[in-house]
Amino acid sequence: MRLVRYVIPVLALFVLISQPLSAQGGTGSVRGQVSDSVTKQGLPAATISIVGTQRTTQTAPDGSYTLTDVPAGTAVVRVTLIGYAPQQQSVAVTAGGTAEVQFGLAPQASLLEPVVVTGYGSQRREAITGSVSSINPAQANVGVTTNVTQMLSGRAAGVDITQNNGEPGAGAQILIRGGSSISNTNDPLYVIDGVPINNVATEPPSMSGVVGTPPLPRNPLNLLNPSDIASITILKDASATAIYGSRAANGVVLIETKKGTTSGGPSIEYDSYVAASSPAKRLDVLNGTEYRAYVQSQVPIWRADSTACAARPACATGYADSSGAFGGLKPSALSGLGAANTNWEQAVTRTAVTHNHNLSFSGGNEDTRYRASLNYMKDQGVALSSGLERIQGRLAATHQALSNRLRLGVNVTTSRVNNQYLTFENTGGFEGGVFQNVAIFDPTQPITVTDATGTHYYEGGGSSVRNPVALANQLIDQGQTTRTIGNATAELDFAPGLTGQVTVGLDHASGGRQIYYPKANPIGNALGGGVARQYDLDNATRTLQTLLTYRRETGDNSFDIVGGYEYNKFKSNLFMAEGKGFFTDAFSFNNIGAATTRTDSSGAEQSLLVSFLSRANVGFKNKYFVTGSMRYDGSSKFAVGHKWSLFPGLSASWHLSDEDFMRSSPFSDLRVRVGWGVQGNPGIAAYSSLLLLGAGSGGSYPWGDAPQTGVAATQNPNPNLKWERTAQYDLGVDFGLMSNRLTGSAEYYVKNTSDLLLSITVPQPAVSETELQNVGKLRNRGIELSLDALAISRPTMTWRAGLTFSADRNRVVDLGPYASGLTSGGVSGQGQSGQVSQLIKKDLPLGTFYGPVFVGVDAQGKQLFQCTAATAGCTNGRTTNGLGPAAADYQVIGNANPDFTLGFHNQVTWRKFDLSFLVRAVLGQDVFNNTALVYSTKGNALQGKNFLKPALTDPTGLHEPAIYSSRWVEGGSFVRLQNITLEYALSLPMLRSVQSARVYVSADNLLLLTGYSGLDPEVYASSGLASRGIDYLSYPRPRTVTGGLRLMF
Amino acid sequence: MMRLMSTITTRGAWVAALLLGSVQACTKLDEVPQSSITPGTFFNNEAEALAGLSGVYAQLRGAFPGYCCAYYVLSEISTDEMVVPTRGQDWYDNGRWLEMHRQTWSATSPSGLQDINSAWVNDFTGIANANVVLSALQSRTIMDSTKQAGVIAELRGLRAFYYYQLMDLFGGVPVVTTTDVQARARESRDSVFKFIESELLAARTNLPATRDAANNGRMTKGAVDAILASMYVNAGVFTKDGGSFSGTTYNSCAGITVAGGLDACQAAVNRADSIILSTAGYALADTFVKNFRADNNLSPENIFVVKFIAQDGLGFPFLQTTLHYNQFSAAPWNGFATLAQTYTAFDTLNDRRTKIFLVGKQFNVETGDSICERPGCAKGAPRLIFTPSIADVTQATEGEGVRIYKWPYDPKHVAQNNGNDFAYFRLAEIYLIKAEAELNGATATAPGGASALALVKAVRARSFAADTLSAVDRNVVLRERLFELAFEAKRRQDLIRFGQYTAAWQFKTAGTDNLTLMPIPQTQRDANSKLAQNPGY
Repeated sequence: MRLVRYVIPVLALFVLISQPLSAQGGTGSVRGQVSDSVTKQGLPAATISIVGTQRTTQTAPDGSYTLTDVPAGTAVVRVTLIGYAPQQQSVAVTAGGTAEVQFGLAPQASLLEPVVVTGYGSQRREAITGSVSSINPAQANVGVTTNVTQMLSGRAAGVDITQNNGEPGAGAQILIRGGSSISNTNDPLYVIDGVPINNVATEPPSMSGVVGTPPLPRNPLNLLNPSDIASITILKDASATAIYGSRAANGVVLIETKKGTTSGGPSIEYDSYVAASSPAKRLDVLNGTEYRAYVQSQVPIWRADSTACAARPACATGYADSSGAFGGLKPSALSGLGAANTNWEQAVTRTAVTHNHNLSFSGGNEDTRYRASLNYMKDQGVALSSGLERIQGRLAATHQALSNRLRLGVNVTTSRVNNQYLTFENTGGFEGGVFQNVAIFDPTQPITVTDATGTHYYEGGGSSVRNPVALANQLIDQGQTTRTIGNATAELDFAPGLTGQVTVGLDHASGGRQIYYPKANPIGNALGGGVARQYDLDNATRTLQTLLTYRRETGDNSFDIVGGYEYNKFKSNLFMAEGKGFFTDAFSFNNIGAATTRTDSSGAEQSLLVSFLSRANVGFKNKYFVTGSMRYDGSSKFAVGHKWSLFPGLSASWHLSDEDFMRSSPFSDLRVRVGWGVQGNPGIAAYSSLLLLGAGSGGSYPWGDAPQTGVAATQNPNPNLKWERTAQYDLGVDFGLMSNRLTGSAEYYVKNTSDLLLSITVPQPAVSETELQNVGKLRNRGIELSLDALAISRPTMTWRAGLTFSADRNRVVDLGPYASGLTSGGVSGQGQSGQVSQLIKKDLPLGTFYGPVFVGVDAQGKQLFQCTAATAGCTNGRTTNGLGPAAADYQVIGNANPDFTLGFHNQVTWRKFDLSFLVRAVLGQDVFNNTALVYSTKGNALQGKNFLKPALTDPTGLHEPAIYSSRWVEGGSFVRLQNITLEYALSLPMLRSVQSARVYVSADNLLLLTGYSGLDPEVYASSGLASRGIDYLSYPRPRTVTGGLRLMF
Repeated sequence: MMRLMSTITTRGAWVAALLLGSVQACTKLDEVPQSSITPGTFFNNEAEALAGLSGVYAQLRGAFPGYCCAYYVLSEISTDEMVVPTRGQDWYDNGRWLEMHRQTWSATSPSGLQDINSAWVNDFTGIANANVVLSALQSRTIMDSTKQAGVIAELRGLRAFYYYQLMDLFGGVPVVTTTDVQARARESRDSVFKFIESELLAARTNLPATRDAANNGRMTKGAVDAILASMYVNAGVFTKDGGSFSGTTYNSCAGITVAGGLDACQAAVNRADSIILSTAGYALADTFVKNFRADNNLSPENIFVVKFIAQDGLGFPFLQTTLHYNQFSAAPWNGFATLAQTYTAFDTLNDRRTKIFLVGKQFNVETGDSICERPGCAKGAPRLIFTPSIADVTQATEGEGVRIYKWPYDPKHVAQNNGNDFAYFRLAEIYLIKAEAELNGATATAPGGASALALVKAVRARSFAADTLSAVDRNVVLRERLFELAFEAKRRQDLIRFGQYTAAWQFKTAGTDNLTLMPIPQTQRDANSKLAQNPGY
């Protein structure tokens, strides 16, 4: 309501003071045609504008255009179109007359928008001074694309996307230039149609700390239909992102959605696809026959040892089962074997079907334009009981009035996303999740058994082993978000070039989650006879933006300046109710009141972000460009006196190829850029600087038999808590050769993050072990290259190819008091509690694997590790004492950061065919194969568990525990054919209303070349501090084949 | 530039001023948490003070496995009472369990960084929470002044107990009574001892002798006396820093002067008598098991307990650590076991042997069903058997090792949460403390028994059909403490006092004297550069 109070008077004022600016000297018209200089064919949808005015139009399907109301005098007419070099021509316009201007555009290598949104404004691509990558959404929206994050993958240099796992709509780790934070978020800021999105989970969390690790949150951006996206721009360096100040340290992704258009009249588009997917690779576990044979081969060994032992006095004592000293498996292992031969992986996975339908219509006239779209998507997961369903509607309308001096716009997106989760789909920890049990569940056992009580799941697996099919089918975990993002903009020209703009936005997400672990399943039963939970999470972000822009362009000189104010208010409320102990499973999660014991909890959080911003761009002779920006941000989350901070940015570019001395150079285009800026990262929780007392079970204590609700301090105060700051330098060269048939850019950057927010162990006594403090420094340095080529350009065939390359090196420069480093990257599995795989330490990169060096296995099957003479029991540099490796002998054993990453995208058009493919390569990184560590050990058989086949031929002893070491850190380089799509344009002469009809087939993840022994080397480590490259067994990545149809009426 | 700027009309400038001016009010960034509290707005009445007090009690749970874990685990697994063998893939955990048993820890080893660090943090967190509440209550009166004095006494008593655990494990530690967080040096162990002693004595004045059923578990005069008695009998260790007491000979309380100029041994006897004669009516329970069952809040023997109830997050989860996976409906973890040598130290006439150990063929403790190593025990399938011997502690089988069943499961348990209270001090130990102090030269007094032998026999009476014990010396007391107090977090303290902690036993070779104090974890020394390390680490 507070926002509205400010907005209404401002809007009213706009209208009051608006009078038509008197037309000076009358107006005339400009018309002509735009055609391809190679094919000589008319080019539709090219943008025609009169430089220095708001007059703009688009060419008709035959390439013709007419612009009316052009002020008399010399007009500079500019034409821009994706894939072509922009052109401008001067023409004399007389009052009431019609001037003719024809354009012949030359095709260029890159398929990028000629005008780039830069945040709080837009610029011609040539005038950009910062480091900006654009992605062509039409090219990137191939195969099954659930969200915008997937579209970024492999298509922009310096942007690395790793999907958490293979589930539909999975969340992703996004690192732009290697990330900038150790404990804070490394996610970029997403700005949709000019309004920054609070990209936090909109769905309540799953049950955590109970039995297993909950499923990871899905991508909050699943709310947006990729087909509605008109442009994606990634601001990478600090000079470009500085305008977003405090939230920009990890880069900014600007998303513009499609708007209504007048070219070609109203249109209707329908596209649809159906996809089938199945797991790309399967775990190599023993089948029932192999497992049975292994157990049977081990029992005689035990019997032989036992017979030998019986003769010795030690074995003759009252309790003579000294079985630990014997090799092999106890005879009781035989009685544990079943008669079935179950492939558990096949039992929990399936060929999943996805279908997607988009319907949009758009149209309008010169003054009012609209576009509306509807999307329905149902994405089945390749594992049972998992999936995603989206129903989304979007409406965008613009209207101009007062002779185009007042422009109004409304965008509303509303979506409903239903998520079905597998309850324990990720790192299973001790109990094991669905996929862990696929690896270890006895393959000689059946899925279901029928006995006197009926048919039910077989659950005889033993300790911490659960029937994975039962887990997937019986445990319910589902969530849904209804999210509406709406914003309204009013823009008014006060004077030529001077524009005021007010935008109000509301982003409201209402998320729910329902969980039921039935008593029919051992997990639900052990937790008290069935557990039901319901959560409700309500997130609301309110945004007010006021901007004042002054823009002036005279000939080759340009000047624009923008100043503004932005106010964001974030609110969230969470409510949870839980019931334990149900007399029936019939209620599922729907009747918590029927539970024996009930608990509930709730919480609320609110924070504010207030900003003042300004930026000026100056262009001189169309050769020299300078941009300066300044943002002053205040966040409520920091300590009093440290809430405000200034974030400056400065950059310049020099269009060298326009200089006379470069006239004879081979470069058709050459530009150098330098930039510097400072940004922040406010991704901490609200109230982080305060001493908080929390009420909850942690502070409760029974006096007598009644629990007394207590409070306990939960957080140390830090009166000095302030922003994490990243200063970044960028040097870039953009070039074009052969009339821009080959274009590219090369960049070098240095990113220094200081005042890192880290939870630091504080001197005791303190109410909490750690305190959030600003300590430490991190440095990223890197090179990015991108090349685009128009390899073939003939009337019947074009071939465009693009290559992106990036190499990032990060290093911890300072870690405050943690001289000996911080551990991260917890190892998952039975017997691994407290074990970590990575070390964060001064002078080492984030993602450094640290542990014992494996040197072999001795005759007794014990693993041997490198050690030094200083360690007890070390002989000839090898451990011999059976104590396992000593912490003192740990070394750096790997680096999870790739040497470099490559993306190679291609588009070939031949007559009516269109073939595109994207290849991604990530080279030089190490991956810790946690899956192999804990599941390729024969010792699993001691507890009646299956294991991965390589263990059969491994010399490691049956009784040897799984020990984390260099043995499990592998090279993880890979080359992946991410997508290949073949499209064909149908001729449908019998359907005259159909303007275009195209059919396509597409395949995702068709080919993976890697030496990595696990399922997939592309792994994501969700747990803890900045850990990277750990292969926890999780939801398998699918291989998908899609068939689709696009129709335009 | 000026020429360009001048084209901005006055009207535009006016709007600009308005746009910016309209937002001036929207720059306030004050934070008011909604679902938690800041101390400045809290502790204004009795209910709020009691909520703060409850939070300080709650930290007592942190000593146990299943919560935080550390004090209990260090006091037991580092001794001959308990070992956690690596069972196939299970319980390897970076080697920290075996490291603890073998006493091969260091400031940077897995157990040093985890368990020992947890112990340090857990006890200090209790202290810090007590300080937060105390600083609010000591500055102003918010309730009936007698009640407020009582709450303050409880807080000081609890804080002293957390210091008692720290002093026991680490020796001297920083002594802090304010809420500011800063690097501070360690005090000498003796001055920590004196601080705890004076705090307990001061608190005692305002504590009641007994509590009604609704307040069972809260601090009493008896609890303070028990902590003091324990401190006094351990004074030969507790007043001395690392290196200044023996790791291999008996460390007597005799000759150490404590509050009131008393000899520590005599002071221990006085405290014991004060408990035995208390109006609270402490008495030995008629059966041993009454002290450990889920209804042990009714035992007249318990003096200072950690309260547990059968409710999520508030129950006693000890059974999880020791029972086999199939033995209990909360699916235990099959870990903690007893050494064969300790099990066999209990002679067959000692009834306690069958009350606290599980050995041989096993049943589900809840249902009585036969069980095998795998669930779904078919007829004729080999049964789960617990054996005393553990052939190879790094490669044990599921059935090896005697299990601890001192605290039977609570029939009303919620998952792993059992309602059995854990007694840090009960009357039986007070008898044994008194006997030991008398054997160290303190004057024998009448309460509980006229002589050390009578006191020990009083404790043994309920566990023997016919007790034949006829003489007592210190070693008899130590053995009796093992029989009576096994797994009650006393063994480490006892072995150190008797100079036997660093000796060799099953799966462990003899160690050096410095092991009688835990190393200060490296994490803590990184955080607080003023913390000196204990000798030998």
